Amino acid sequence: MKTSHYDRAHHAKKATGVGDPQCFKGEAGLAKFKVGDRVRIKDLPDLFYSRCQVYTRGAVGVVIVVVYESPAPEDEAWDNTDKSEWFYCVKFRQKDLWPEYPDLYANDTVETEFSERWLEKA
Amino acid sequence: MSSSTRERVMRHINTVGQLQPALHQPQHAPYPDAIDHALYRAYTRGAHDVGGEPDVPIRWEEKEEEQWELNTFATCECLAWRGVWNAEERRRRQNVDVGQTVYLGLPYYGRWLLTAALVMVDKQYVTLTELVNKIDEVKKRHEDKSLR
Repeated sequence: MKTSHYDRAHHAKKATGVGDPQCFKGEAGLAKFKVGDRVRIKDLPDLFYSRCQVYTRGAVGVVIVVVYESPAPEDEAWDNTDKSEWFYCVKFRQKDLWPEYPDLYANDTVETEFSERWLEKA
Repeated sequence: MSSSTRERVMRHINTVGQLQPALHQPQHAPYPDAIDHALYRAYTRGAHDVGGEPDVPIRWEEKEEEQWELNTFATCECLAWRGVWNAEERRRRQNVDVGQTVYLGLPYYGRWLLTAALVMVDKQYVTLTELVNKIDEVKKRHEDKSLR
């Protein structure tokens, strides 16, 4: 909460000429997970705002890209941008997400992104 | 642990799929003991998190943006450049803060436009009095020209 209430244009200034999320590069420290890691999505409270789709909670997938660093949506949505996290692209088998998914399409997958707080080692 | 989480998540998705915007129906705040954990979670979830909810197929249509929709998009981008909001705050306001009835009930850019007006009021760039007076003035100016 340090800058936003003093300088409303702080994000525009930081991102101009660099881009977002590139402007947060180097702020998240070491990434906790790497490509190939199996991760389970945590079922944290849904309250007020999140971009962690509920259908992924509790499911296990594989990290396929360590994507970028950025403030988590839960913070950025109130303009709190001074803490960045690593974001990961995680691939799930559709059959692991939907109990009635047809066996005929057993190889189907879905890929989606999470900030690090949502992941635990599976 | 995980399997009970998955069962809870699947029950949750089925519950929120049954929540519908109330239109012309009396709806009273229930007594607290009528709300169990599952209903509490269903009511307090973000309205945009609809993935996997049971629903019916809809017809796919190609539709170009209307001029007011393009203007709305440009206005919202200008608000970002001037530091009024970032993209995530815009999404939070237009996809979640509006509530389920407005989220499902209004056109996509209608939510953008309403949200742009509200953020200007919330952050004191304009007072609601000024906004309402301006809307009233514009409505009166157009009354004679518009057949609506």
